Amino acid sequence: MMALDLSQNKYSDVSMEEKDRLFAEAKADERWEHVLYGCYECGICVAACPSARFYDFSPRVIAQAVAREDTDLIYTLMADSIWDCSQCFSCDRCPRKNSPGQIITILREVSVKNGLKSAKEALQGYGRIIYKIMLTGTQVSPDMLQPDAFPDWGTHVYEIAENLDDWRKALPPETLHTTETSWVIDDKTIIELYLIWHMTGVMDLISGVDEGLYDIIVDVMEERLEEAGYDDVTFD
Amino acid sequence: MASENIIVIGGGPAGLEAARGVADLGYKAILVEKRDRLGGTPDEAQYAALTPDMRSAKEAMDEMRDAVTDNSGVELMLNTTVTGSEGELGNFVVKAEQGGKQIDIEAGAVILATGFQHFDPGRETQKYGYYEHDDVITLVDAEKMFTAGNFVRPSNGEKPKSVAFIQCVGSRDRQIGNEYCSKVCCGISSKQAIEVRHHCPDAKIYIFYIDMRMYGYWENEIYWPAQEKHKVNYIKGMATEILKQGDHLIVKGEDTTLRRPMEVPMDMVILAVGMEPSVGTKEMAEVFGVNKNKYGFIETIGGALNTVSTNVEGVFAAGACTGPADLEDSVSAAGSAVMKSIGAIRKAAVPA
Amino acid sequence: MLHLPVLKADERKHSMDTDKGEKVDLTDAIFQLEKEGEWIVQRVPEPYIELDTKYGRKKKIPIEHTWHHKSCGQCGHIPGYSASIFWLNREFGLDYHDPTNQTSCTAWNYYASATSNPEAQAAVAIRNFASAYEVGYFPLIHCGTSFGHYKEVRHALVHQPELRRKVKAIMEKLGKPFVIPEEIVHYSEWVLAMKDRIAERQQLDMSMITATVHPACHYHKLIEDDAIYDSEIYGAQRTAIISGTLKALGINVADYSTWFDCCGFGFRHILVSRDFSRSFSVQRKIGVMIEEANPDVTVTHDTGCVTTLDQSQFAGKAHDKKVGLPVMSDSQMAALAMGAHPYKVLQLHWHNTDNKAFLEKLGIDHEKKWSEFQHEIQKIKDGKNEYMSWEDAK
Repeated sequence: MMALDLSQNKYSDVSMEEKDRLFAEAKADERWEHVLYGCYECGICVAACPSARFYDFSPRVIAQAVAREDTDLIYTLMADSIWDCSQCFSCDRCPRKNSPGQIITILREVSVKNGLKSAKEALQGYGRIIYKIMLTGTQVSPDMLQPDAFPDWGTHVYEIAENLDDWRKALPPETLHTTETSWVIDDKTIIELYLIWHMTGVMDLISGVDEGLYDIIVDVMEERLEEAGYDDVTFD
Repeated sequence: MASENIIVIGGGPAGLEAARGVADLGYKAILVEKRDRLGGTPDEAQYAALTPDMRSAKEAMDEMRDAVTDNSGVELMLNTTVTGSEGELGNFVVKAEQGGKQIDIEAGAVILATGFQHFDPGRETQKYGYYEHDDVITLVDAEKMFTAGNFVRPSNGEKPKSVAFIQCVGSRDRQIGNEYCSKVCCGISSKQAIEVRHHCPDAKIYIFYIDMRMYGYWENEIYWPAQEKHKVNYIKGMATEILKQGDHLIVKGEDTTLRRPMEVPMDMVILAVGMEPSVGTKEMAEVFGVNKNKYGFIETIGGALNTVSTNVEGVFAAGACTGPADLEDSVSAAGSAVMKSIGAIRKAAVPA
Repeated sequence: MLHLPVLKADERKHSMDTDKGEKVDLTDAIFQLEKEGEWIVQRVPEPYIELDTKYGRKKKIPIEHTWHHKSCGQCGHIPGYSASIFWLNREFGLDYHDPTNQTSCTAWNYYASATSNPEAQAAVAIRNFASAYEVGYFPLIHCGTSFGHYKEVRHALVHQPELRRKVKAIMEKLGKPFVIPEEIVHYSEWVLAMKDRIAERQQLDMSMITATVHPACHYHKLIEDDAIYDSEIYGAQRTAIISGTLKALGINVADYSTWFDCCGFGFRHILVSRDFSRSFSVQRKIGVMIEEANPDVTVTHDTGCVTTLDQSQFAGKAHDKKVGLPVMSDSQMAALAMGAHPYKVLQLHWHNTDNKAFLEKLGIDHEKKWSEFQHEIQKIKDGKNEYMSWEDAK
């Protein structure tokens, strides 16, 4: 287990102004006042936390850092710690009703939005998932069960991959005979999903962490939107 | 016809002290208690020793009871439940039920001393397993065992080799709705830890806490002796779960000082349950039209300078019916309520 | 005989005080917002069954006219999970709708990568709810994360007028109504509500089976006030989901000390940091279950939990860890009890951990069942059947 280095000004290459600005962005989030009240360091969040047992990870330290508004420490945690969280929300049990898990959700969003190096690293190899979810509306699909993607899941992944088409056809629910999506999804529904991504600015977040991926996804979306009559919808 | 009698509702420490005080000052106290005996929660829950001086609770309650029984200034009404009230300062008619009979009690002023009840750990947000594991008990259960002189594991009757206290159960908790500190539990746990030491000289004893609240002399009289003389381990960090593994319990928490999750095997766990308003307190607030605070305790209106007056003229409240209180608080407030109620009656009797 | 002034745990009685604390009962607020013209509240259709929530609120669980909000992970990688839910509905002759205008909740991605935002998440949720409303069916959520996430979304929509305004504008643009369901209902609540009817039609004796239960984090930790509790199940100290169902089937539900821990899924971790998922799942869950309870099967009720607990065991084998415990959903267990085919309906071949010993213990001839399934596959291969139908799956 790597020990978490919380020494002061660890990331001296980033200015205090920048660290302040990133925290201000998190604090401006509408959810902020409901995810952090105050912390009396009871440690219940750490006790309940799965990640704390595997990594040098402490939801309590994160709650304390944000409560103290220690922007230097918060930056270090954003860089080195927040992606270890499992987002299981066991820490929602906080007697003060803080939610370290939701604090982390917000800090992650800020990291992604600002294209922080740590966010890019944390999401390395994750691009194909973003591609799938953005374009198809399902996160995983049957055809992702490939041995090279899941070598640690053993030989049974080979068996599934080999028999995929037949096994999908041997599923009684009529909507499940698919391999590229988890179920049959109407074209109209996909277009509606793209319009939601467009109206909520989600693609901007993706451009922050992976410009290449952004270009590929946007190309596909714009083409399908145009076919559906939305030629005025562009992501530029 | 105006009455100069003062009705005291509740026969616990605050009520007993109030009744005695009223009689000492030459007025008549009518002490109403719904149980068949006096002594309140210390009696009902069979407390063993008081905090902080370790005096026998029974002996102390006997002293308080003796002061009101065979006292010509105190009329005792046991097995009596107050059901309604009419009138005002100087002229209250309190309706009560006694052995199936309706009675009216005339009084010039009212002192509510209906106390608290212990928090039910079944409502706890953390998973402490009080309803799952025999060896998870509360401070109240432990008092009963000390009183019986037999402190053992309920699961097998053997002396525990390790005992943990978990603080703030039902207190300081926004999830549960009890944001307040129950004030006495840190002291009581430390006192009990010393008692555990007497029963189990070789046991490991732990207190898991958020903040130890041992103000004034409780610090030197209990906290330090527990730590220094009786080798009680104080660990800053709370438990989130009590689990069962084989024939022992596991306390799952964080040792915040050492910044690491911990899972400590334990023979017995004692939950330091906090205070909530008793059923009687909530009922009497309704009967007398007295305001309650958001926690259901009776609200006093004078801030720090007057801890016993309520929004209803002539109705006073003393002790743990107004919020978490230790014995010193309850008895002191009772004295204050006696003074204020007699003052109110006397002022009301003088034509303006 | 031990005489102590302290009661044993199972003799201790507690009463739930429902009028305290910051409870999250949104019912009044949801209907008030409807009165103010903010949105339409979709009522739970009759017939429904009422179950107790954590603090005693009665939650309405619809029995039929349900709109099946499927799970991407279930349908994609463990499809017998959802197939079993549909099979149960069909066996009881209940009216349901399996939509093709549903997207996943996209919350898996949100919790994994944060490459989304609250408006997008709420709009995705409401678009799905609107699709259910338009056809007159009530959403039944198959996935624990979708369930938990939708509760969060609903909570945010109630409390954040600005978010409501944004989502409303999006729905207008899509030409869809702004609808919120009266209750957010998870399929395992439906299974629990149906438990007595399932037990009545049980064909397979399961009394020799010992099972451990893993409740999904996003089911009972996210807005726990809305999860189902029952004083008969762990004294209402843990959610009654799964355990209540299994007990009704006559299964011995065994406790283990890490029951509250997560499965190790971690959202991001299961996809790109699986060392965490594997270690946690094998060491903190499966290993502990085997060590302490020696069960025949472990039963859970969420996409991520079934996947992580099941798939992680393969790597555990290489490290001589205690593994080899079949993992199934409560819907699969219920369907199996009622006589569903282990491969045609439960689709157990998609699961990783060997479940043959478990089937044998239940007296199921898995070789015969497998050849029956292979026969259906052959019909597909031969072009005799395009697909295996519900009729073929009987």
